[in-house]
Amino acid sequence: MLEEYARFIDEGSLLELQKVAERLRGVKVLHVNSTKLGGGVAEILYRMVPLMNELGIETRWEVIKGDLDFFKVTKKIHNLLHLPGEEKLNHEDVITYMKYTYENVSYIDTDPFDVIFIHDPQPLGLIVKKKRGQKWIWRCHIDVSTPDEDTWKFLEMFVNGYDASIFHIPEFVREGVRIPAFVIPPSIDPLHDKNRELKEDYVHHVLNKFGIDPEKPIVLQVSRFDRLKDPIGVIEAYRIVRKRYECQLVLAGSFASDDPEGEEVYREVLEVKGDDPDVFVLNLPPNSHMEINALQRAATVVVQKSIREGFGLVVSEAMWKGKPVIGSNIGGIRRQIINGVTGYLINSIEGTAFRIKQLLADEKRREEMGRNAHERVKHSFLITRHLKDYLLLVSSLIDGG
Amino acid sequence: MTEFAFRSELWTAQYTGIKANTLASFARALKEVDDDTIYYHLYRNLFEYHFLPTDYGNSFAYWLAENGFSVLAEKFSALDLLECVCIADMRERMLDILRSDIDGIEKICKPFYFIRAVRRTIDLGIRARNLEEFREGVGKVGIHSLFYHLVTSRLYHGEPTNDFSRWLREIGEEEKAEEIDKLDLMAYSLYEVRNRILKILSES
Repeated sequence: MLEEYARFIDEGSLLELQKVAERLRGVKVLHVNSTKLGGGVAEILYRMVPLMNELGIETRWEVIKGDLDFFKVTKKIHNLLHLPGEEKLNHEDVITYMKYTYENVSYIDTDPFDVIFIHDPQPLGLIVKKKRGQKWIWRCHIDVSTPDEDTWKFLEMFVNGYDASIFHIPEFVREGVRIPAFVIPPSIDPLHDKNRELKEDYVHHVLNKFGIDPEKPIVLQVSRFDRLKDPIGVIEAYRIVRKRYECQLVLAGSFASDDPEGEEVYREVLEVKGDDPDVFVLNLPPNSHMEINALQRAATVVVQKSIREGFGLVVSEAMWKGKPVIGSNIGGIRRQIINGVTGYLINSIEGTAFRIKQLLADEKRREEMGRNAHERVKHSFLITRHLKDYLLLVSSLIDGG
Repeated sequence: MTEFAFRSELWTAQYTGIKANTLASFARALKEVDDDTIYYHLYRNLFEYHFLPTDYGNSFAYWLAENGFSVLAEKFSALDLLECVCIADMRERMLDILRSDIDGIEKICKPFYFIRAVRRTIDLGIRARNLEEFREGVGKVGIHSLFYHLVTSRLYHGEPTNDFSRWLREIGEEEKAEEIDKLDLMAYSLYEVRNRILKILSES
């Protein structure tokens, strides 16, 4: 598998990866998360684990057990950490979390491993199994900088039992994390259906399927139907652009059947779209990776006008396809886009419209920024870089005693 | 003849827990953080963004520019990393620049997060005993190896020359050493730098 990735990085980087891995021969690594299917964490582990094994580091991947009650609580914890609201973690929630944590303590054997990566809050409590000499790392994939205080207090006692933590960006680190906090951004997989190269015929087929004109410029935002992604703001920006430029707007995303707010936002977006035949609001099934890939490849300009964002890897996905991205000047988006070099960072609807117009008007600028964007992702946001960062961290923890 | 051992430098980024949201707290932090933190922010552009046409030379300058301190940003950006053989000196120079312009020192800015580079040097297992092997090695190693030998080595040795030139002088290739020493690493990507070095090494 490593061979397949070698074509995306230079020979020297591959050699560095192998040399770092050589020093870790004999080290046994375990990754634990809450699902084998769906979501960014599982997607990365699906490739990361075999790659680590191929590099000679014995690596396993385990998934915790839990029923609907448990996952309802962990979803609530996720929301309270990421976006605190009126809801609170109650006594019953804590009991449910602890009950399943102790069931998983018996179910998941962590003893044979030297290094244990625990992903996100769901399996966090497994730290009670830590044995002398082991290194436990909490890989946090969400923004916990402004959590619900009570929820954080509950989790903090587990967090500070780890040897190290990893966050996407320093802004996501909660004050009160007393263990070393490393900054390792997430990554995209160039071989995933979302990102792999596509034949032009297929791209055209997808455009035809949705009635999108391949000859007319396409402004695209890919995101689930969520107010935090500001789809209405994108339509408003498009309306400003349309006063002077012929173009189409594609809002592609999805909402889960159990997400009433998603459906509500989708309906709002349809209402605001009205009868404009150049606005396409596509509610796609959750695994429409190839279609999204095709839409990104067909886009003239990609927008990510989120109000709040985890990391927003969809930005890197578009950049990998050589597209300049106009993204909000927030969180992970501002870590991916270099303003004026790989795209533009914006702070308003008007700013979004202004940058869309600039890029629609200037093919040369689009191409140059698109090239820069691709290079940026190649160096900083591919899974091979992510893998190297994990190996370096493991290596420094082991050497550090 | 001494052997040249190709090495590479890799980093992991560790958040120090220190952030600054005014120029005053930025200056205080700059005095307090360790050398590897200063190093991370000074050299990150060269390490990670060398292949892109960026506006400023280092992360400190970017933050200053973003928060409206354009003169300070220019002055920070103009710090010549190739003249730097000691982080402590660079720290003093930056503090001097900040002392020279204290307008808006308490203005609330976007936070600057101080990150430490946890640095690791790895032996790539490639050796050169003559010019030909050296040229092959330069063509084969990654750009982080070039970064280590051309940039970091100045700090390790405390001398304004790089590893490549030092070794070339040892084998009597003074002219080539001189030419490599003169390369402006801040003006080219490390890929371009490699091509230029390969060209210098190929000249008879």
